[in-house]
Amino acid sequence: MKHLLLKLEPLIWLLFGQGILLGTVLLTGWVLVVGLAIPLGIVPADALSYERAQMLGSHIIGRVILLGLIVLPLWKGAHHMRHIFLDFGGAKRDVLVAPLLYLLAASGSVLAVVAIVRI
Amino acid sequence: MSRNAHPDAMAPSKPGRTRTAPPQLPDQFPFGGRYLAYTLFDLTGILYLLLGFLVLCAVWSLGSGEAAWNGVLERNRSMLYVGFHAIALVGVIFVGIRFFGFFPKAQPPRIGPVKPPPKPVILAMLYALWIGVTAFLSIVLAGGIF
Amino acid sequence: MSDGQQKKTFVVTRFDPDRDEAPRKQSYEIPVQPDWKVLDALNFIKDEVDGTLSYRWSCRMAVCGSCGMMVNGEPRLTCKEALSQYGDTVDVGPLANFPVVRDLVIEADGFMEKLTSVKPWIIRAKERAVEEGPMRQSPAEHEEFKQFSLCINCMLCYSACPVVANEPEFLGPAAIAVGHRYSIDSRDEGAAERNEVFRGEGGVFSCSFANECSEVCPKNVDPAAAVNQAKFNAVIDWATGLVLPRGGDE
Repeated sequence: MKHLLLKLEPLIWLLFGQGILLGTVLLTGWVLVVGLAIPLGIVPADALSYERAQMLGSHIIGRVILLGLIVLPLWKGAHHMRHIFLDFGGAKRDVLVAPLLYLLAASGSVLAVVAIVRI
Repeated sequence: MSRNAHPDAMAPSKPGRTRTAPPQLPDQFPFGGRYLAYTLFDLTGILYLLLGFLVLCAVWSLGSGEAAWNGVLERNRSMLYVGFHAIALVGVIFVGIRFFGFFPKAQPPRIGPVKPPPKPVILAMLYALWIGVTAFLSIVLAGGIF
Repeated sequence: MSDGQQKKTFVVTRFDPDRDEAPRKQSYEIPVQPDWKVLDALNFIKDEVDGTLSYRWSCRMAVCGSCGMMVNGEPRLTCKEALSQYGDTVDVGPLANFPVVRDLVIEADGFMEKLTSVKPWIIRAKERAVEEGPMRQSPAEHEEFKQFSLCINCMLCYSACPVVANEPEFLGPAAIAVGHRYSIDSRDEGAAERNEVFRGEGGVFSCSFANECSEVCPKNVDPAAAVNQAKFNAVIDWATGLVLPRGGDE
């Protein structure tokens, strides 16, 4: 398992790095509008009515952006949670915790593809 | 007050001739001084993981029909979700500022024959990307265009 | 000693492996001069008060890297830090994250092993013959790695690094920085060989970019920059390895 983790590290780091960069860049607008402006009534709710959300989400660019909005934060999150665990003395159990966290991110990534195809 | 670091931290492959006292963590780790910003940066991992799954749930609901999607919009109006997203926004901005600050110096001096742009240019490009994409996405999501 | 002389109290970590179960603190109140560095105070304690105090020091001018210690909880070169910036009580301890041999002396062999593991020397595919003359390097080529060559191996960065504290296999800032220094040296042909170490256990990807190493570095080497550049190069090495067969060229 340690050997497998080592082999995958460059890929995980790439996903994590893009998770921070592109994930942050994409998430800011989503959190601002979907997470705050619409719920607080600053933006009218029909901006993301079902019809409009469907139209945006089913466009190829919309699908790519939604994929980025799910996958990238998941890998950034998983990797940083592994670091938190290590920083608080969890090195001995890293061989168990790291695969679990990355599996979580991987599962979410697979579900993301399914969810986006379902739109 | 000192606390033990990993018992094998910086240990040589063969023990020395006399017994050694165990390695100690730096006093300020993990919440003191500059370490606080670092630890908070890592802790945003929890925020990002939750955000990723929230977006996943939203997209799944979008594919499940109008009632499910309206349920997402309704759920987002609760104090819990608004509060979470407010904290998440602070977290995301904090991550961006800290990471973009470090990004220019993390570029190698060359990749093959190609040299990266000067560090201030890289920083400007990153912020331009961030502000540009945020503005565009916000306008689209808020119904401004399309 | 005149009555008007300033005094400071130094709370120093002591540890005698033959006598002490665990490290303990011992206080020394001594007169200090206004222009002293922390090291001057330690030398005064050893010369005039307690000859049993053990610590490393050498050049007195921040070039040898010997005198690294924790001063008020921060890793510092004691020959570099002016006493005047500290209050009436100064805490001096051995470098964090290292096993302690005695008093303020830490076990440095672990660091030496990590350092040699990255092969910090020019690696050539074929030894250059003397008749071929010297290797030429332009000032621009030299600038690319120069900053990372300034490391004095003082190990302060290891004391500051949270990954060194928690993951014993981690190569650490200085070792990766000097390995990277050679990999980006235009005369070097060993980047692929070093990437095997950089991508191994405790390699560059263990770094969590705390940047503490660069914050404490007394020579402005910026090891965090080196480590993260090395990550990037290791990914390129990995990606090209997927597409192109290994062997022969770097």
